[in-house]
Amino acid sequence: MIAVGTALRAFAHPTHLPGRHMSLFLHYLSMPYLLQGIELTLQVTALGLVGGLILGLILAAMQLSRFWLLAAIARGYTVIFRGTPLILQMVFAYDALPHIGIKLPAVLAAGLALACNEAPFIAEMLRSGVLGVDRGQLLAGQALGMTPAILMRRIIAPQAIRTMIPAFGNEAVSALKNSSLASVIAVQELTLRSTQLASSTFDFFSIFFASGLLYLVLTGAISVIQLALEWLLDLDRTTKQRKLADYLPWRRVDLATKLELAAKTSPAIEAAPPEPAELKETPPLALSIEDRARRAATIARNNIAVEVKHLRKAYDGNKVLDGLDLTVRIGEVIALLGPSGSGKSTLLRCINHLENWDSGEIRVGGRKLGFDEAGRKLTPRAIANERANVGVGMVFQQFNLFGHLTAKENVAGPLRWVHGMGRFEAERRAAELLDRVGLSHRADALPRHLSGGQQQRVAIARALAPNPSVLLLDEPTSALDPELVGEVLEVIRRLAIDDGLTMIISTHQIRFADEVADRVAFLNGGVILEQGPAHEVLTNPRHPLTARFLSVMEAERPKDAVA
Amino acid sequence: MQTRLFTGARRAWLAALGAIIAATLLAPVDASAATPAGCAALKEKYPDWKGKTLVNAINPHTPGYESIDPKDPSKYVGFDIDLGEAIGDCLGFKLTYKAVTFAALLTTLASGQADIVISDIYATKERAKAADFITYSKVFDGVLVAKGNPKGINGINLSLCGAAAAENTGYVEVPLIQDLAPKCKEAGKPEPTIQLYDNNANCIQAILAGRADTYINDVNTVDQAVKAYPDKLEKAIAVTIPYSVGIAVPKDKPKFRDAVMAALIEVQKEGIHQELLKKWQLDPANFKEPDILTAD
Repeated sequence: MIAVGTALRAFAHPTHLPGRHMSLFLHYLSMPYLLQGIELTLQVTALGLVGGLILGLILAAMQLSRFWLLAAIARGYTVIFRGTPLILQMVFAYDALPHIGIKLPAVLAAGLALACNEAPFIAEMLRSGVLGVDRGQLLAGQALGMTPAILMRRIIAPQAIRTMIPAFGNEAVSALKNSSLASVIAVQELTLRSTQLASSTFDFFSIFFASGLLYLVLTGAISVIQLALEWLLDLDRTTKQRKLADYLPWRRVDLATKLELAAKTSPAIEAAPPEPAELKETPPLALSIEDRARRAATIARNNIAVEVKHLRKAYDGNKVLDGLDLTVRIGEVIALLGPSGSGKSTLLRCINHLENWDSGEIRVGGRKLGFDEAGRKLTPRAIANERANVGVGMVFQQFNLFGHLTAKENVAGPLRWVHGMGRFEAERRAAELLDRVGLSHRADALPRHLSGGQQQRVAIARALAPNPSVLLLDEPTSALDPELVGEVLEVIRRLAIDDGLTMIISTHQIRFADEVADRVAFLNGGVILEQGPAHEVLTNPRHPLTARFLSVMEAERPKDAVA
Repeated sequence: MQTRLFTGARRAWLAALGAIIAATLLAPVDASAATPAGCAALKEKYPDWKGKTLVNAINPHTPGYESIDPKDPSKYVGFDIDLGEAIGDCLGFKLTYKAVTFAALLTTLASGQADIVISDIYATKERAKAADFITYSKVFDGVLVAKGNPKGINGINLSLCGAAAAENTGYVEVPLIQDLAPKCKEAGKPEPTIQLYDNNANCIQAILAGRADTYINDVNTVDQAVKAYPDKLEKAIAVTIPYSVGIAVPKDKPKFRDAVMAALIEVQKEGIHQELLKKWQLDPANFKEPDILTAD
């Protein structure tokens, strides 16, 4: 009765004493009627966000799909629902749908309208998150035989979600505020309850300050959840040097902390260039003429590993490959030389079926690529499986390590996901390979904390992990600082000579080609202009274009820091 | 009869106190009040709604007619609420409430999201295109102005020229004020402007904030506002408006309309209607015997 009496006096005698306003404010702040309104506010918000996420996923998938009709429908939906006010959509869901027999309860109608409205925004976030993942990593994943589904789940989604969390936080806050529009369709949420209360008591300001504060508490909670998620998913958190405190709003050292962190966790970069602990000493590798002859004779008796016949490919009418033929035998190392645009990279990508070709045939280990036994073209998924089975490994110019995975996981992950290897076995294999490229001590480092040379060595380990029958290397040292080239070439050299691995390397390192390759092929205009034993072609080119190319490269030689 | 229009207004804050005490004390009385004798026959004649729960769409921003109970905000209280429940008692149905903006009352009814609208809505020919009406009350409007009536507004007339009027979206007063524009022009005065809001509270705030000069609405609403802000607001005058207040029912349910009308007649015969006017401090002159208003 006392509370009633207070309310009555307030009702009858509005005064302007701050004390009274404060006590009214506190009274409304703790009023169960308003607090229950929060429940409905949250229900509508949750329906809007969850529904929006589901619809958004569908929309984003449609927009990214190979089928133009799906993309067009998704685009049309986006135009309509992003282009009309939410309040109209609410009224539509509530008052128009019953005319076609769909009579949803008010909360569901509001949730539906909010979900339909959120979907295009969430879809755009998803789409930009997916497109924001480095294309090189996708290529590397494909080269490792990942199907589109595995690629999405293991490579794209984990990285995209990290970048999307701030945007999701914004979207959640805006959905929460937008849920107040449900008041127009009789949902008894916080805003509607506040206005009704204001109408019956005339305590306009006390009520609206109270409900404003309640909204702030809710949106504040969303911000806290967002920051906690950012912290949980921060890759640097695992280094234990990242504190939750770094996320507090008054911290303004974010970027600096990160740089400092990168420096702290990558001691290898500033270490002296030769890393004695990393690569075990081996005798200098200069094969004598006799050794070379013996090697050539052995290889000549081996089976064919890769056979390329009359390969043709054009981009928009520009011929990139113009009836190219190439045969590579098991154990053979071939260096592809030639100016940029001569078709080297395209040839390598075709051999791994990362690209389609217009005509011609590629056989790896006797198996014809791109077609099933009945001669039909393969789907993207079947091509991925084919890649995994045929066993072609690939190393890229830009390394293309998976940015969210440690060095060890870069190697072990694909073994589990593509080849179905057990966790223990995959980790053992990864450890073994990292040891082989001299990086056991960096197994738990993230790619961005590794030097370029170290990254490329991890990439080589990753490509070797499934025991490929052929390794393709696409200008493996071109993106490296000169002082880091040596360590990578050393690894490749050992693969060739110690392991007898079949390799096709496109390179500009003439001297390296001379030392390591059995054969050199000089490409120009999409065909092989000249090929033969490495030393012979490089020292005594027959074709004038080869000679000119070699002399230009010779002139630029001082730039090569290859020892 | 029209001379006793503003008795409620003179009782100052006691009226509010009275209203709430009345609400508390009279409730049990109402409950014990026997259902009108004729209702048993009506339940037999119109059995379709017996035992049902119907949805009443209201715009609960009009204290005295319909608003939430400040003491128990989960309840709606007011004259319209009680009258609706008396009609429900008579026909054997219960009511639940759906709070919507004033402009959405009839669309909510038309879309089937509500079964009936008893919310101080004026029955006009225009509105009868969207719903059928059973009229039950005469309309008296009050002209709410700032204390001292600085603009000298004295009705829906040329005194409004150049003034800013706050109104609710969809209110009948809106076209009445708009119609003044050419007359003001003729008299060489500036036209009145209209600010459209969503509920009474916002209209009243518009005057308190100095954004609007007047708010013309049902006289009881105006009285309540003056009671709440006696230092800042006053009622300039009361005017009659050529409409009646009506209960809106769906156009495609003539049987329901007839049942509600028959029940209302029984409720009035028992004197319940007049009792409720007294209970809510409304002018007994509001009382009106029911008529049906349809579009044709």
